[in-house]
Order: sequence, then structure tokens, then C-alpha cells
Amino acid sequence: MAKRTKLYDEHLKLGAKIVEFAGWEMPVQYSGIIDEHNNVRNNAGLFDVSHMGEFFVSGKDALKLLQKLVPQNIEKLTDGKAVYCQLPNENGGLIDDLIIYRLKNEEYLVIVNASGIEKDYEWFKQNADGFDVKIEDKSDEYSLLALQGPKAKKIIAKLGISEDEQPKFFHIKYAKLNGADILLARTGYTGEDGFEILTKNENIVELWNLILEKGAEFGVKPIGLGARDTLRLEAALPLYGNDLNEETTPVESGLSWFIPKDKDADYNGKAKIIEQLKNGVKKHLIGFKMTDRAIPRHEYELYIHGEKAGIVTSGGFAPTLNENIGLGYIEEELPPGSEIQVMVRNKLYNAKIVKTPFVEKKSKKMDNI
Amino acid sequence: MMVPEGILCSKTHEYLLEENDLYTIGLTDYAVEQLGDIVFVELPEIGTEFAKGEVFATVESVKAASEIYMPVGGKIVEINEKIVESPEVLNESPYENGWLVKVESSTAQEDSGDLLDYDDYKEEL
Repeated sequence: MAKRTKLYDEHLKLGAKIVEFAGWEMPVQYSGIIDEHNNVRNNAGLFDVSHMGEFFVSGKDALKLLQKLVPQNIEKLTDGKAVYCQLPNENGGLIDDLIIYRLKNEEYLVIVNASGIEKDYEWFKQNADGFDVKIEDKSDEYSLLALQGPKAKKIIAKLGISEDEQPKFFHIKYAKLNGADILLARTGYTGEDGFEILTKNENIVELWNLILEKGAEFGVKPIGLGARDTLRLEAALPLYGNDLNEETTPVESGLSWFIPKDKDADYNGKAKIIEQLKNGVKKHLIGFKMTDRAIPRHEYELYIHGEKAGIVTSGGFAPTLNENIGLGYIEEELPPGSEIQVMVRNKLYNAKIVKTPFVEKKSKKMDNI
Repeated sequence: MMVPEGILCSKTHEYLLEENDLYTIGLTDYAVEQLGDIVFVELPEIGTEFAKGEVFATVESVKAASEIYMPVGGKIVEINEKIVESPEVLNESPYENGWLVKVESSTAQEDSGDLLDYDDYKEEL
């Protein structure tokens, strides 16, 4: 049976439409995907993302384990700093993508996708053989909210954490909100400025309702997974399972920028990833916009000059742009402006490759480590 | 929402409304509510003939593409150009302004045997 977050009843009260996602019954929309999407871009939106997983990794070898698991150089993380990471297998294919937060010396928080909780946990343990490290999956004890949009910082300030006290982009800090202990992170999945708030399950219903109540004057609304997907697509943030999978390396996934070339420590898939960084790859993740009237969708085929050349990994209507956009893989390296085609219901429609993100990110650029 | 008198509904959520031997086909209010924001509509060309149960149109919401089936066989004699330009009209007014096509049908009588009147359709949901 599908799992429910502690906020399930609140979603029903708010009139949410519920769908199953990664084994969870989650709100896909409340007022409507386009309305919710625009509200995050213009004001603020509150998301229940409690289905995501939280691991606490601590101990003398915590750093050594994380260094072995991801291409990023976790050694460079200072207290309260976070980094977006990939979790490659021995061949460089991705088991998941995740964010690692350094809470303090020898203590890290790792946030993983809902679909990755079990397999990632097994993978972490398997890699920790002989290490002096404690890996705790606390996904069932913690709930996670995301508060995203240009007004998010004002809402958090109104709740008692002033803008000066708020963590900077890709940082995290311990804080109190409404008397509850929280971890407040300046991260998200929308391309907007915003926060993620991690707290024990028992605090979450009150916190959720408090943010909606105190945030009302700033126009906050509850946002479902539908708008979460359109927001992240416009920001060209990859979705594990669509754009990333075990057959695709981070270099092929257009994530080269996130991979340091100078990390000394060995990590899973390093040989393959470094070889690809040096010699290039055969398939490339591209962003494209439809120039004909048609909507590209996950798994539709891509064509170059009428020849099959790849596949759409994510696609759909972009509310901010009022255009149809997609991400996909092609087996040729083509510059922005190049024409490609998408097969939609047995007909080819024109599209052109564009630079990503499709919508300018309001959140600041993260430091490369 | 005003539901027109006399509509018949299919289990795949199309409605059929007869007026002076012309049949209007669209999506029920329940269908458009379930789909959410509709952002794209693809309609057939005038003159095309379809059998009952054939796909004649595609409607796409933000989330997904849905195929639309003929509730009765017939020939397309009119299409609603307005919803191609403004797909959101389907959400706002599925019966009055958001209809899809009008068809001539010589088989409507026998083809509509499995269609339900609106009250029975709502009950089946």
C-alpha cells in the first residue's frame, strides 16, 4: 500500500488531488498546476516533500565514505554548507542524485529521492564495509517542507528568522521555528530563491499551517507535485528516473560542470567519469523548444534531419514561457539554434536546441567544489 | 455548471448531444476537471470519417496527453477552432464553448446503445 506523509489530511482539507508517486500518495495539485506554478514564480509556494529520504552520516570515516560515493569533493565542504551530488555506480551510471549538507565535523545530512531511499541506503552500507561510520536512515522520523519563491525569505523573517540570520544559498543551519527544532536549508528544486525545512514528524502539521497562515499576506499557496515538475523543468534541473538513470553518467547528463577534475580521492565510477571528461561523450543532454505546435513528452523520439537521433527525457508545457519545452539525449553535439524534430503521435514536429535553463534562475549560482 | 438536457456520456468521458440531426461531441465536466489545466488540443480535419471507438482527437493537460474516442461513428462536419487557439476554454466551459467537433452520423441510434444519460454516468464514477 502506498505511504502517506503526515500532512495527508491537510492536503485533503485544502482540496488537493492526490496521485501515487514513488510509492507515496502525494498532492499533485490544489488550485491548478498553472496557477500554482505562477504563484511560485511571483510570490511563494509551500511544498510537502516529506516523501524524500534523509540519511544522517556520522563518525570518524563519514567524510571518507562520502568521498568514495560521489564525484564532488566533500572535503571542501565547511560546516553549514551543502553541495548537489550524484551517486554513481562502478561504471559511472547514476544510482541517484542527492544533496549533501555538512552539519558539523564528522556529521552530514544527505537528502535523497523517495525512489532511492532503500537502494541508496543499501549502497551506502555496502560501501561502508570496514569504515568507522554510522549511517542512519531517518526518513520515517522526519518531514520535509520546501518554501520557494521570491517572497520566501520574507515569510521566514515574519516567522522569526530575520533575513540576516537566514542561511545563504546552498547553506544550512540549525534554527527554531514556532518553538520547534528545525534544520533550515537554502536549497530547492524550482530555480527560485527559497528554503527547505526539515523537522521531526510531530512538528510538521503545525508548521505547515503556520506558514500558510503567516505567509498569506505574501501570497503563499500550497503547491503540488505537478507544478514542482513544471518549475524544475523550466529551470532545467534533472529529475532522477526521467533525465538521470543507471545507464547514464553525469558527464552525459550535462552535469560535467558539477564534477571537479582535481579530486584526488578515488570514488565509484571515477575512471569512466574522468575519461569522459577528457575525451568527450557520444550522447548529450540538450534542452529544446518546440517551434511547431506540439508538446514533447518523456520517451518521445528525437530526430535530426529525419533520422532517429535520441530520446526526450522530460517535456511539457512551460507556464512561465507559454511554450512547449523539453530535455533529451541526442547522439550528436549540436549548438543552440540547431533544428531537431520530435516524433509526436507518428508525425515529426520541428524544435530548436536552446541554452538551459529555459527560465533564468533567481537563486544564486552555487559554489563549485 | 449548466449541463445541457439530453446529453449521453461514454465510459471514456466523452459526451454526445443531438440537435437537428447534428451530433456535438465534447468532454464531460468530470473529464476536464480530472485532466486539470488543458494546454493543447488537436482536432481532426473536416470531412474525416471515424467509426465508433476510434481516436479522433488528442487533448493535453500540463501533465499528460489523452486520446479522445468517438462515442458514435460519423463524419466530422465542424470543428471548434476556438479551443485550438484557447485550450483553457475546455476547462472553463466544457459544454457551451468548449465542445470539440460536430458530426453527421447515420449509425448514431445503434452506436449509442452503451452510452449513459448524465445522472447514470455520474453515478458510475
